[in-house]
Amino acid sequence: MSIGLAALLGLLVILVIVAVVRQQDAAPVVKRFAEQFAKLVPRMLCALVGAGFVATLIPKQLIAGLLGPDAGLLALPVAAAAGLMVPSGPVISFAIAAVFAKAGASTPALITFLTSWSIFAAHRILIFELPLVGASFFRLRIASVAVIPFIAGVLAMLVGLITTFGQAAP
Amino acid sequence: MAGFDFLHDPDWRRSVLRDGFGRSFFGFLGFAVVTGTLSYILRGHDAFVAALWGDLDLVTNVLPRVVIAVSIAALIWFLIPRDRISALVGSESGLRGLLIASVAGTITPGGPASAYALLAVLAGSGADRGAMVAYITAWGTLGLQRILVWDVPFMGPEFAIMRFAISMSLPIIAGLIARRLPMQLTVKDPGQ
Repeated sequence: MSIGLAALLGLLVILVIVAVVRQQDAAPVVKRFAEQFAKLVPRMLCALVGAGFVATLIPKQLIAGLLGPDAGLLALPVAAAAGLMVPSGPVISFAIAAVFAKAGASTPALITFLTSWSIFAAHRILIFELPLVGASFFRLRIASVAVIPFIAGVLAMLVGLITTFGQAAP
Repeated sequence: MAGFDFLHDPDWRRSVLRDGFGRSFFGFLGFAVVTGTLSYILRGHDAFVAALWGDLDLVTNVLPRVVIAVSIAALIWFLIPRDRISALVGSESGLRGLLIASVAGTITPGGPASAYALLAVLAGSGADRGAMVAYITAWGTLGLQRILVWDVPFMGPEFAIMRFAISMSLPIIAGLIARRLPMQLTVKDPGQ
Protein backbone atom coordinates (compact mmCIF):
# COMPACT_ATOMS: atom_id res chain seq x y z
CA MET A 1 0.00 0.00 0.00
CA SER A 2 1.30 3.46 -0.88
CA ILE A 3 2.13 6.20 1.62
CA GLY A 4 -0.72 8.35 0.40
CA LEU A 5 -3.39 5.68 0.76
CA ALA A 6 -2.09 4.74 4.22
CA ALA A 7 -2.16 8.38 5.36
CA LEU A 8 -5.71 8.80 4.05
CA LEU A 9 -6.91 5.62 5.73
CA GLY A 10 -5.31 6.65 9.02
CA LEU A 11 -6.99 10.05 8.86
CA LEU A 12 -10.34 8.42 8.08
CA VAL A 13 -10.07 6.04 11.04
CA ILE A 14 -9.27 8.93 13.39
CA LEU A 15 -12.20 10.97 12.11
CA VAL A 16 -14.62 8.03 12.42
CA ILE A 17 -13.51 7.51 16.03
CA VAL A 18 -14.00 11.22 16.77
CA ALA A 19 -17.44 11.09 15.13
CA VAL A 20 -18.49 8.07 17.21
CA VAL A 21 -17.21 9.63 20.44
CA ARG A 22 -19.04 12.87 19.70
CA GLN A 23 -22.19 10.94 18.68
CA GLN A 24 -22.32 12.74 15.34
CA ASP A 25 -25.52 11.89 13.47
CA ALA A 26 -24.54 9.67 10.52
CA ALA A 27 -27.33 10.67 8.13
CA PRO A 28 -26.09 14.15 7.09
CA VAL A 29 -22.57 12.76 6.62
CA VAL A 30 -23.86 10.01 4.33
CA LYS A 31 -25.93 12.58 2.45
CA ARG A 32 -22.99 14.89 1.83
CA PHE A 33 -20.83 11.89 0.85
CA ALA A 34 -23.40 10.73 -1.73
CA GLU A 35 -23.76 14.23 -3.18
CA GLN A 36 -20.04 14.83 -3.56
CA PHE A 37 -19.41 11.29 -4.81
CA ALA A 38 -21.99 11.75 -7.56
CA LYS A 39 -20.46 15.08 -8.55
CA LEU A 40 -17.00 13.58 -8.89
CA VAL A 41 -16.80 9.94 -9.78
CA PRO A 42 -18.69 9.33 -13.06
CA ARG A 43 -16.97 12.24 -14.81
CA MET A 44 -13.66 11.38 -13.23
CA LEU A 45 -13.65 7.87 -14.68
CA CYS A 46 -14.16 9.22 -18.22
CA ALA A 47 -11.52 11.92 -17.70
CA LEU A 48 -8.95 9.41 -16.46
CA VAL A 49 -9.45 7.21 -19.50
CA GLY A 50 -9.30 10.18 -21.89
CA ALA A 51 -6.20 11.58 -20.19
CA GLY A 52 -4.34 8.32 -20.76
CA PHE A 53 -5.02 8.67 -24.48
CA VAL A 54 -3.96 12.32 -24.53
CA ALA A 55 -0.61 11.29 -23.09
CA THR A 56 0.00 9.16 -26.18
CA LEU A 57 -0.83 12.14 -28.42
CA ILE A 58 1.49 14.79 -26.90
CA PRO A 59 4.59 15.27 -29.11
CA LYS A 60 7.05 14.77 -26.25
CA GLN A 61 10.32 14.67 -28.21
CA LEU A 62 9.41 17.77 -30.20
CA ILE A 63 8.73 19.76 -27.04
CA ALA A 64 11.81 18.39 -25.28
CA GLY A 65 13.96 19.82 -28.08
CA LEU A 66 12.73 23.32 -27.19
CA LEU A 67 13.56 23.06 -23.49
CA GLY A 68 17.35 22.70 -23.53
CA PRO A 69 19.75 25.13 -21.86
CA ASP A 70 20.31 26.93 -25.21
CA ALA A 71 16.67 27.96 -25.29
CA GLY A 72 17.24 30.40 -22.41
CA LEU A 73 14.20 32.41 -21.38
CA LEU A 74 12.16 31.06 -24.28
CA ALA A 75 12.16 27.67 -22.55
CA LEU A 76 9.93 29.04 -19.79
CA PRO A 77 6.81 29.88 -21.84
CA VAL A 78 7.21 26.64 -23.82
CA ALA A 79 7.49 24.65 -20.59
CA ALA A 80 4.52 26.48 -19.05
CA ALA A 81 2.43 25.77 -22.15
CA ALA A 82 3.47 22.11 -22.10
CA GLY A 83 2.33 21.91 -18.48
CA LEU A 84 -1.06 23.23 -19.54
CA MET A 85 -1.35 20.49 -22.13
CA VAL A 86 -1.16 17.58 -19.70
CA PRO A 87 -4.70 16.94 -18.49
CA SER A 88 -3.87 14.06 -16.18
CA GLY A 89 -2.39 12.99 -12.89
CA PRO A 90 1.20 12.63 -11.73
CA VAL A 91 1.72 9.22 -13.37
CA ILE A 92 1.70 10.82 -16.80
CA SER A 93 3.08 14.27 -16.04
CA PHE A 94 6.15 12.93 -14.26
CA ALA A 95 6.74 10.35 -16.96
CA ILE A 96 6.72 13.23 -19.46
CA ALA A 97 9.00 15.32 -17.20
CA ALA A 98 11.44 12.40 -17.15
CA VAL A 99 11.35 12.24 -20.96
CA PHE A 100 12.09 15.99 -21.09
CA ALA A 101 14.93 15.61 -18.58
CA LYS A 102 16.52 12.75 -20.52
CA ALA A 103 16.33 14.83 -23.69
CA GLY A 104 18.39 17.53 -21.96
CA ALA A 105 15.79 19.99 -20.71
CA SER A 106 17.22 22.54 -18.25
CA THR A 107 16.27 22.51 -14.56
CA PRO A 108 14.37 25.86 -14.76
CA ALA A 109 12.37 24.50 -17.71
CA LEU A 110 11.51 21.30 -15.81
CA ILE A 111 10.48 23.26 -12.72
CA THR A 112 8.33 25.57 -14.83
CA PHE A 113 6.70 22.58 -16.53
CA LEU A 114 5.88 20.79 -13.27
CA THR A 115 4.70 23.98 -11.56
CA SER A 116 2.48 24.85 -14.51
CA TRP A 117 1.01 21.37 -14.58
CA SER A 118 0.54 21.31 -10.80
CA ILE A 119 -1.59 24.47 -10.77
CA PHE A 120 -3.36 24.35 -14.13
CA ALA A 121 -3.99 20.64 -14.86
CA ALA A 122 -7.23 20.86 -16.82
CA HIS A 123 -8.68 17.56 -15.58
CA ARG A 124 -8.52 18.77 -11.98
CA ILE A 125 -10.29 22.01 -12.85
CA LEU A 126 -13.07 20.20 -14.70
CA ILE A 127 -13.51 17.25 -12.35
CA PHE A 128 -12.97 18.90 -8.97
CA GLU A 129 -12.65 22.66 -8.94
CA LEU A 130 -15.73 23.70 -10.94
CA PRO A 131 -18.23 21.24 -9.37
CA LEU A 132 -16.97 21.57 -5.77
CA VAL A 133 -15.90 25.21 -5.46
CA GLY A 134 -17.44 26.97 -8.46
CA ALA A 135 -16.57 29.06 -11.48
CA SER A 136 -16.00 32.38 -9.70
CA PHE A 137 -13.26 30.87 -7.55
CA PHE A 138 -11.73 29.26 -10.63
CA ARG A 139 -11.51 32.66 -12.39
CA LEU A 140 -10.04 34.33 -9.33
CA ARG A 141 -7.49 31.56 -8.88
CA ILE A 142 -6.36 31.50 -12.51
CA ALA A 143 -5.86 35.28 -12.46
CA SER A 144 -3.88 34.95 -9.22
CA VAL A 145 -1.58 32.11 -10.24
CA ALA A 146 -0.98 32.88 -13.93
CA VAL A 147 2.50 34.27 -13.19
CA ILE A 148 3.47 31.56 -10.71
CA PRO A 149 5.14 29.08 -13.14
CA PHE A 150 7.27 31.92 -14.54
CA ILE A 151 8.29 33.09 -11.07
CA ALA A 152 9.32 29.50 -10.29
CA GLY A 153 11.32 29.24 -13.53
CA VAL A 154 13.10 32.58 -13.04
CA LEU A 155 13.94 31.70 -9.42
CA ALA A 156 15.38 28.40 -10.64
CA MET A 157 17.47 30.28 -13.24
CA LEU A 158 18.81 32.65 -10.57
CA VAL A 159 19.71 29.72 -8.30
CA GLY A 160 21.36 28.07 -11.32
CA LEU A 161 23.74 31.04 -11.58
CA ILE A 162 25.09 30.30 -8.09
CA THR A 163 25.12 26.52 -7.89
CA THR A 164 24.73 23.42 -10.02
CA PHE A 165 22.74 21.72 -7.23
CA GLY A 166 19.26 20.58 -8.21
CA GLN A 167 19.95 18.80 -11.50
CA ALA A 168 17.34 16.23 -12.43
CA ALA A 169 18.58 12.64 -12.38
CA PRO A 170 15.76 10.67 -14.02
CA MET B 1 -33.92 6.09 11.33
CA ALA B 2 -35.65 9.35 10.51
CA GLY B 3 -32.42 11.08 9.48
CA PHE B 4 -32.07 8.88 6.41
CA ASP B 5 -35.38 9.96 4.87
CA PHE B 6 -33.50 11.81 2.14
CA LEU B 7 -32.63 8.43 0.60
CA HIS B 8 -36.29 7.99 -0.35
CA ASP B 9 -36.79 11.57 -1.47
CA PRO B 10 -37.29 11.46 -5.27
CA ASP B 11 -36.16 15.09 -5.68
CA TRP B 12 -32.91 14.44 -3.88
CA ARG B 13 -32.28 11.25 -5.85
CA ARG B 14 -32.92 13.03 -9.11
CA SER B 15 -30.58 15.90 -8.23
CA VAL B 16 -27.80 13.46 -7.30
CA LEU B 17 -28.30 11.60 -10.58
CA ARG B 18 -28.21 14.88 -12.46
CA ASP B 19 -24.96 15.83 -10.73
CA GLY B 20 -23.44 12.50 -11.73
CA PHE B 21 -24.81 11.94 -15.20
CA GLY B 22 -25.86 15.37 -16.40
CA ARG B 23 -24.86 16.98 -19.65
CA SER B 24 -21.24 17.51 -18.63
CA PHE B 25 -20.86 13.78 -17.98
CA PHE B 26 -21.47 13.15 -21.66
CA GLY B 27 -18.93 15.84 -22.48
CA PHE B 28 -16.35 13.86 -20.52
CA LEU B 29 -17.47 10.62 -22.12
CA GLY B 30 -17.12 12.23 -25.55
CA PHE B 31 -13.63 13.46 -24.61
CA ALA B 32 -12.59 9.87 -23.75
CA VAL B 33 -14.05 8.50 -26.98
CA VAL B 34 -12.50 11.19 -29.20
CA THR B 35 -9.03 10.97 -27.65
CA GLY B 36 -9.23 7.17 -27.78
CA THR B 37 -10.13 7.25 -31.46
CA LEU B 38 -7.34 9.74 -32.23
CA SER B 39 -4.86 7.65 -30.29
CA TYR B 40 -5.90 4.55 -32.25
CA ILE B 41 -5.62 6.31 -35.62
CA LEU B 42 -2.44 8.30 -34.99
CA ARG B 43 -0.45 6.02 -32.68
CA GLY B 44 -1.64 2.58 -33.76
CA HIS B 45 -3.28 -0.44 -32.19
CA ASP B 46 -0.51 -1.34 -29.72
CA ALA B 47 -0.17 2.13 -28.21
CA PHE B 48 -3.95 2.32 -27.90
CA VAL B 49 -4.19 -0.99 -26.06
CA ALA B 50 -1.27 -0.09 -23.79
CA ALA B 51 -2.90 3.25 -22.92
CA LEU B 52 -6.21 1.51 -22.25
CA TRP B 53 -4.60 -0.96 -19.83
CA GLY B 54 -2.76 1.90 -18.17
CA ASP B 55 -6.09 3.68 -17.77
CA LEU B 56 -7.75 0.65 -16.16
CA ASP B 57 -4.83 0.32 -13.78
CA LEU B 58 -5.16 4.01 -12.88
CA VAL B 59 -8.91 3.75 -12.32
CA THR B 60 -8.61 0.80 -9.94
CA ASN B 61 -5.89 2.69 -8.07
CA VAL B 62 -7.72 5.97 -7.86
CA LEU B 63 -11.24 4.81 -7.03
CA PRO B 64 -10.58 3.61 -3.45
CA ARG B 65 -8.66 6.82 -2.73
CA VAL B 66 -11.51 8.96 -3.92
CA VAL B 67 -14.00 7.05 -1.79
CA ILE B 68 -11.80 7.55 1.28
CA ALA B 69 -11.06 11.19 0.48
CA VAL B 70 -14.71 12.10 0.00
CA SER B 71 -15.61 10.29 3.25
CA ILE B 72 -12.95 12.30 5.08
CA ALA B 73 -14.21 15.55 3.64
CA ALA B 74 -17.82 14.71 4.53
CA LEU B 75 -16.82 13.93 8.12
CA ILE B 76 -14.68 17.06 8.42
CA TRP B 77 -17.57 19.16 7.14
CA PHE B 78 -19.57 18.18 10.24
CA LEU B 79 -16.83 17.58 12.82
CA ILE B 80 -14.64 20.65 12.58
CA PRO B 81 -16.21 23.83 13.91
CA ARG B 82 -16.28 25.99 10.81
CA ASP B 83 -16.25 29.26 12.71
CA ARG B 84 -12.87 28.27 14.13
CA ILE B 85 -11.51 27.75 10.62
CA SER B 86 -12.68 31.19 9.58
CA ALA B 87 -10.91 32.70 12.59
CA LEU B 88 -7.67 31.01 11.48
CA VAL B 89 -7.85 31.85 7.78
CA GLY B 90 -10.62 34.44 7.54
CA SER B 91 -10.34 37.82 5.87
CA GLU B 92 -8.80 39.36 9.01
CA SER B 93 -6.10 36.70 9.22
CA GLY B 94 -3.40 38.65 7.40
CA LEU B 95 -0.11 37.08 6.42
CA ARG B 96 -0.47 34.51 9.19
CA GLY B 97 -3.64 33.18 7.55
CA LEU B 98 -1.78 32.73 4.25
CA LEU B 99 1.03 30.89 6.05
CA ILE B 100 -1.39 28.58 7.88
CA ALA B 101 -3.23 27.86 4.64
CA SER B 102 0.06 27.14 2.84
CA VAL B 103 1.22 24.71 5.53
CA ALA B 104 -2.19 23.00 5.49
CA GLY B 105 -1.96 22.60 1.69
CA THR B 106 1.57 21.24 1.95
CA ILE B 107 0.60 18.46 4.36
CA THR B 108 -2.84 17.55 2.96
CA PRO B 109 -2.55 13.87 1.99
CA GLY B 110 -4.28 12.20 -0.92
CA GLY B 111 -4.98 13.40 -4.42
CA PRO B 112 -7.12 16.24 -5.70
CA ALA B 113 -10.30 14.63 -4.35
CA SER B 114 -9.25 15.30 -0.77
CA ALA B 115 -7.62 18.68 -1.47
CA TYR B 116 -10.59 20.12 -3.37
CA ALA B 117 -13.13 18.65 -0.96
CA LEU B 118 -11.25 20.37 1.87
CA LEU B 119 -11.11 23.57 -0.17
CA ALA B 120 -14.90 23.38 -0.36
CA VAL B 121 -14.95 23.10 3.45
CA LEU B 122 -12.71 26.20 3.66
CA ALA B 123 -15.01 28.07 1.28
CA GLY B 124 -18.06 27.06 3.30
CA SER B 125 -16.39 28.27 6.51
CA GLY B 126 -15.88 31.80 5.24
CA ALA B 127 -12.15 31.48 4.60
CA ASP B 128 -10.48 34.45 2.97
CA ARG B 129 -9.99 34.28 -0.83
CA GLY B 130 -6.22 34.69 -0.46
CA ALA B 131 -6.07 31.80 1.98
CA MET B 132 -8.10 29.59 -0.38
CA VAL B 133 -5.80 30.34 -3.30
CA ALA B 134 -2.72 29.88 -1.09
CA TYR B 135 -4.06 26.56 0.18
CA ILE B 136 -4.66 24.98 -3.21
CA THR B 137 -1.47 26.46 -4.72
CA ALA B 138 0.54 25.03 -1.82
CA TRP B 139 -1.13 21.65 -2.27
CA GLY B 140 -0.22 21.69 -5.98
CA THR B 141 3.31 23.05 -5.87
CA LEU B 142 4.57 21.98 -2.43
CA GLY B 143 2.43 18.94 -1.55
CA LEU B 144 4.74 16.67 0.43
CA GLN B 145 3.08 13.50 -0.73
CA ARG B 146 3.63 14.38 -4.38
CA ILE B 147 7.25 15.41 -3.77
CA LEU B 148 8.01 12.14 -1.95
CA VAL B 149 6.07 9.79 -4.19
CA TRP B 150 6.74 11.43 -7.56
CA ASP B 151 9.53 14.02 -7.60
CA VAL B 152 12.07 11.94 -5.69
CA PRO B 153 11.83 8.68 -7.67
CA PHE B 154 11.25 10.27 -11.10
CA MET B 155 13.55 13.28 -10.98
CA GLY B 156 16.02 12.47 -8.19
CA PRO B 157 16.32 13.88 -4.65
CA GLU B 158 18.41 16.93 -5.62
CA PHE B 159 15.80 18.14 -8.06
CA ALA B 160 13.03 17.44 -5.55
CA ILE B 161 14.75 19.56 -2.87
CA MET B 162 15.38 22.32 -5.41
CA ARG B 163 11.77 22.38 -6.57
CA PHE B 164 10.45 22.38 -3.02
CA ALA B 165 12.78 25.23 -1.95
CA ILE B 166 11.89 27.35 -4.96
CA SER B 167 8.16 26.75 -4.52
CA MET B 168 8.01 27.83 -0.87
CA SER B 169 7.25 31.45 -1.68
CA LEU B 170 4.73 30.71 -4.44
CA PRO B 171 1.51 30.09 -2.44
CA ILE B 172 2.05 33.29 -0.42
CA ILE B 173 2.61 35.32 -3.61
CA ALA B 174 -0.52 33.79 -5.18
CA GLY B 175 -2.55 34.50 -2.03
CA LEU B 176 -1.39 38.12 -1.90
CA ILE B 177 -2.31 38.59 -5.57
CA ALA B 178 -5.73 37.00 -4.98
CA ARG B 179 -6.44 39.43 -2.13
CA ARG B 180 -5.71 42.42 -4.35
CA LEU B 181 -7.68 41.36 -7.43
CA PRO B 182 -10.97 43.21 -7.84
CA MET B 183 -12.96 40.07 -8.73
CA GLN B 184 -16.23 38.73 -7.41
CA LEU B 185 -16.11 35.49 -5.48
CA THR B 186 -19.40 33.74 -4.90
CA VAL B 187 -18.99 30.58 -2.90
CA LYS B 188 -20.91 27.47 -3.87
CA ASP B 189 -22.61 25.52 -1.13
CA PRO B 190 -22.02 27.90 1.83
CA GLY B 191 -22.12 26.34 5.27
CA GLN B 192 -25.45 26.28 7.06
